[in-house]
Amino acid sequence: MNLFQTLALVVVGGLFILTLVATLRGWATRREGFLWALVWVAAVVAIVWPDATTIIARKLGIKRGADLILYCAVVVMMIGFLMVYVRLRRIRRELTLLVRQLAIRDAVITSPLNPPDETATPEENTE
Amino acid sequence: MNDSTTTPERLPDDVRHGTFIIIAAYNEGACIEQVVREVRAEYQNVVVVDDGSADDTFEAAKRYAPYCLRHVINRGQGAALQTGIEFALLHGARFVVTFDADGQHCVEDIQTMVTPIARGEFEITLGSRFLGEMGQIPASRRRTLRMAVLFTRLVNRVNVTDTHNGLRAFSARAARKINITLDRMAHASELIDQVRLSGLPFTEVPVRIRYTDYSVKKGQSSRNAIQIVLHYLLGRILR
Repeated sequence: MNLFQTLALVVVGGLFILTLVATLRGWATRREGFLWALVWVAAVVAIVWPDATTIIARKLGIKRGADLILYCAVVVMMIGFLMVYVRLRRIRRELTLLVRQLAIRDAVITSPLNPPDETATPEENTE
Repeated sequence: MNDSTTTPERLPDDVRHGTFIIIAAYNEGACIEQVVREVRAEYQNVVVVDDGSADDTFEAAKRYAPYCLRHVINRGQGAALQTGIEFALLHGARFVVTFDADGQHCVEDIQTMVTPIARGEFEITLGSRFLGEMGQIPASRRRTLRMAVLFTRLVNRVNVTDTHNGLRAFSARAARKINITLDRMAHASELIDQVRLSGLPFTEVPVRIRYTDYSVKKGQSSRNAIQIVLHYLLGRILR
């Protein structure tokens, strides 16, 4: 096992423990935790036995396993960005509604200077 | 488009008192006071929505506007207008007029806008600077606005001559149907969509625009326009 594989295993191991902790503490649902755990297990397999990815890649008509992983990563990231964007829009929308409610609730209603009909002063009519 | 282009009589008192003027202001401390004062001289119900300004817009507006609202966080002009419209309806508005804060509109045009609605001829009137004399419109601004109109004809399928005019008037019924969800400048196109979808009768009314150095500087640059178009199109796809 080379140095990169060792480091990658340490990182993936850390992420696995993090997923475990998050799921147990209720930060993530069990389903989410399970899906993430699957991803980490797949990562361990790909790190320890890189040829496995090549076998799958060949079946799909891709030469190298690393390429397959790269393509998958790009697609997953694009989907991720889109999901974050949609969620951001929704949060902006909700923020606007909140700000609007506050503005209407806290409206300052006064009887200010210059009521209509009393202001026909000469200088205002010059325009 | 509209034969009654002669300046109408001053609005009857009951109409004038039922008319709410919505002014959305963002960092307009330099001129909001003057604008509000001019409007307030004719109309008692002036609603200023300060869209989270960093300057003294709110304090300046308070001197002459009976209704002052503040967005605690800047949410954009579309959002501020919608806030003002909802507030006006809550306070019994019969007519709602949106009016820009930078002094580019003329107070006399408000009655031109409201009259067709008060007469029951239309539910919505949209101000157009291209229907009247348009000598004062700077050439660069004219070009950008022409593109906006072309865009609107293609995408919104509505035949209007000026899509980005801040002066608009609604009956209470129409105002209730309008719901601006695009917070920033793309709300202008969205509004046209809603006017069309509402199925309510609308018309354009010629209005004058005063292009002062101040209002031109505060206006949207042509470069900004592309961004607004993208924002609007995304808004149509992602509801």
